[in-house]
Amino acid sequence: MSKFVERPRYVCSLGGAVGTIKALPRTVPILHAATGCGGNVATALNQAAGYLGSGYCSGQALPSTNTSEREIVFGGEERLSEQIENTLKLIDGDLYFVVTGCMVEMIGDNINNSIKAFDGAGARVIGAETGGFHGNYYKGYEIVLKTLFQEFVAKNPVKDSRLLNLWGIVPIQDVFWKGNIAIIKDLLVKLGYRVNTFFGYGETLDDLKHAGAASLNIVVSDTFGVEAAQVFEEVHDVPYITAPFPIGDQGTARFLRTLGHALGIEPAFVEKVIKEEQAYYYSYFERIADVYSDLDLQRYAVVVGDSNYTQALARFLADDLGWLPELVVITDFLNDEQKELLEGRFADYESGIKPEVVFDTDASNVGKYIARHWGQSKGQRYFEGFNPGFILGSAIDRDTAEKLKAPQLTVTYPISNRVVLDRGYAGYSGALRLTEDLLSVLVGNR
Amino acid sequence: MDYTREKTPPIREERLGACMAFGGSCCDISRQSKKGCLFNNNRKFSQSQGCQLTLSLAILNTIRDSVIIVHSPIGCGANLVAQAGVSKGFQKLRDPNAFGLRWINTNLDEVDVINGGEEKLRSAILYADREYRPSAIIVMNSCVPALIGDDIDTLIEELQKQVSARIVPVHCEGFKTKIQATAYDAVYHGILRTLVGVGEDEEEPIIIDELEELKRKYRISRTVNVLNVSSMSRPDEENLVKLLSALDLNVRILPCYAHPDDFADSFEAALNVSICATHDDYFVEHMKSKYQIPFILRTIPIGIANTNKWLLDIAGFFGIEEQARKLIDSEMRELNIALAPYREFLKGKTAFLGGGEIRIITTAELLHSLGMEILGLRGFHFDRYGEGLLEELMEEIPESERAIINIGTGQPFEQANLLEKHRPDVFVGHPGGNGWANKQGVPVFPLFGQAYEYMGYVGVYEVARRLTRILKNTSYSRNLVKHARLPYRQDWYSEDPFAYINQDAAL
Repeated sequence: MSKFVERPRYVCSLGGAVGTIKALPRTVPILHAATGCGGNVATALNQAAGYLGSGYCSGQALPSTNTSEREIVFGGEERLSEQIENTLKLIDGDLYFVVTGCMVEMIGDNINNSIKAFDGAGARVIGAETGGFHGNYYKGYEIVLKTLFQEFVAKNPVKDSRLLNLWGIVPIQDVFWKGNIAIIKDLLVKLGYRVNTFFGYGETLDDLKHAGAASLNIVVSDTFGVEAAQVFEEVHDVPYITAPFPIGDQGTARFLRTLGHALGIEPAFVEKVIKEEQAYYYSYFERIADVYSDLDLQRYAVVVGDSNYTQALARFLADDLGWLPELVVITDFLNDEQKELLEGRFADYESGIKPEVVFDTDASNVGKYIARHWGQSKGQRYFEGFNPGFILGSAIDRDTAEKLKAPQLTVTYPISNRVVLDRGYAGYSGALRLTEDLLSVLVGNR
Repeated sequence: MDYTREKTPPIREERLGACMAFGGSCCDISRQSKKGCLFNNNRKFSQSQGCQLTLSLAILNTIRDSVIIVHSPIGCGANLVAQAGVSKGFQKLRDPNAFGLRWINTNLDEVDVINGGEEKLRSAILYADREYRPSAIIVMNSCVPALIGDDIDTLIEELQKQVSARIVPVHCEGFKTKIQATAYDAVYHGILRTLVGVGEDEEEPIIIDELEELKRKYRISRTVNVLNVSSMSRPDEENLVKLLSALDLNVRILPCYAHPDDFADSFEAALNVSICATHDDYFVEHMKSKYQIPFILRTIPIGIANTNKWLLDIAGFFGIEEQARKLIDSEMRELNIALAPYREFLKGKTAFLGGGEIRIITTAELLHSLGMEILGLRGFHFDRYGEGLLEELMEEIPESERAIINIGTGQPFEQANLLEKHRPDVFVGHPGGNGWANKQGVPVFPLFGQAYEYMGYVGVYEVARRLTRILKNTSYSRNLVKHARLPYRQDWYSEDPFAYINQDAAL
């Protein structure tokens, strides 16, 4: 049984669905939900995701039935039909995606009754049940992907051996998704492939439509988008592999080798690509040698966040930057199988560091785990402690950082204290951005 | 008025006949509002808005030393995540030791929808009390538990005996109303039922010190509760306190950024002074019927005319109009000199305004007093309080009868159509929908801001100064319009902006 969450780091599955749809080109979400659902998720997705903005047709512009008592009593399908009809008239889109809130599902509205009257009549209209009680943002991402793969992606028995699909980097919930996708795509292009990412810059709905021709789906996550990959395989006969989200040299080299192996690329070619990337990476990474050693910028670190970022950040900190990320708090809703898989991601560090991994959704507990791991000062003269420490987490973790007087960088959702545009932390180039941001905090007072 | 015996307050469609969809002229709405049937209007196409729950948080996230429990599936209250830093910073302006925002979501899932969510709420309340030892635990009830029939009031009654915090239930289920301002009633309802007058009967001293008692009564006779709004800044509050202090009045500021204990003796006041009827009518009416405290609810102190009215109404109550007039004269003399260069710059510039009815009507008057022309207004909703203020506006500025008025919470498609047709020099808008105006190439002045001054005489100067600053360089919006596109089809801009409003019922 699930429990309450103290300061959750995600909105509901409706929010995840809206966010995912918002990130698709020329796709218009239509909410069939209670008055307020749209406004609530719009605020959370804009202001807490590095000031993402309203996008093409989100924020306050999100079409919504704004269901209220009358529809709850008499049913809301008629209102939904009216809303779809007028959305098609007013809003210029190529795909319209109906998503539902809790209330309309609980009263038994069947959105398909409304959708089928409009789908295909000059526009594509699809939909899915995404009510918030189904789960959090990731659940909404999963539902939208599955629906797209089942209903929008065209069946194509002919596969293109140079074409890949890539997902698992969750739009908006990963505030740096756009930058991250661009970086990973660039790496795959260097391996000699064309890539559909659906949510990256310059992608079109046509790319999504023809995704059935890909030879392999790459899910850059152990947890997000895996169910959708299974659906894709069933419907379109395209296999998938999962590979953990990579940040930095150690993580990204592993990532490229995993992919090279799965794609049957000549290992020497993969190593050549890695070498070129490393050359660029270290030409900058070595710049900090002076400041790193002059000021002793090595830190103990706590990493708090989702299952994609925590493993990537901790490996980068330990194996690239030489820090001591001894404590990791993973805040997702996960089953035992997923937890076991994730624990394995912290077990094989080159540096020999072995982080303590905790699964906990509640923000206040982070401070307690820090105290448990490093001990709590009782004013004794000789004391190990979390010092010098650094916290990588979300805006929520600032309270813990302030209490401990530890410097902090917000890198996981919610991010309300930074503006994020095309920055990414993935791969080699992203690790350079991350290094800049981390060390800038430390030299910020100079 | 006394609804506090009920667990939940009535919705504003019923209590005030509030309207959420209209398009026409100021003269039209005034006429139709008097007939009282505007609340029937609705839209055939609508865009997202907030609900009671999201807006309740605007007040509740300011209350110090409390924990908010949102009893709902995991998403409700997510608009809090972006507020944590802001809330903490502003709480610290009132109390440097303030903790900031602490909240819990009960995370109702598919199982709870069938079996009920009371046990999760119980565990959340007990956890909040044990973990934080707060003064108040605010429990916000949402759509899902309301529909599955969770009895949160009985549960709270039971748990109140076990926890040290005061538990404040707030019934703010989003689906119940389209007038999101019903949120203020929901919040005040909870406060009136559980915080106001707490411990009132405990403090009967055995021996009454007559002199102390006289002093107390005198103090109460000179004390006003000024009811602030979370959209105003600390300097705004300080400006208003300064004005009232100049009239020798004691000021107690409620409800935003107050400590839960501050409400206990809030009935010890001579007068309740609202600065926004949209927020406060429910509270002041109840304080009048329960504690016989009169109130002033007419207008918000924005702009010279309305600040004067606000002050004179208060002074009138205490019989010190003469003193107030002197204060007003000296304030205005200084202000008018300071405004001269800005009036020169702003003269003849056109504005369109959007936001809460009270704020847009008074801000329109302010802009007019700076020499600007008001093309139109967009109100989140419209009720008798807007009707009264609009009446005064049309009396004082006859040409405003012709100005356009559009009622709708958000609904940026109507805004886009209106701005395209009227191309004002500036859009003065409620935060949340301003980016759209910017993308249309219209520079934006935010209708309010928690970091800026808008109220009282200083507010007039600050608005004039900032508006001038914003119009000095409008490159950002001029660049955007060349590269950004709104989602509406091109033919929408040539249609009637109110084509999707059903207002037949009112005609």
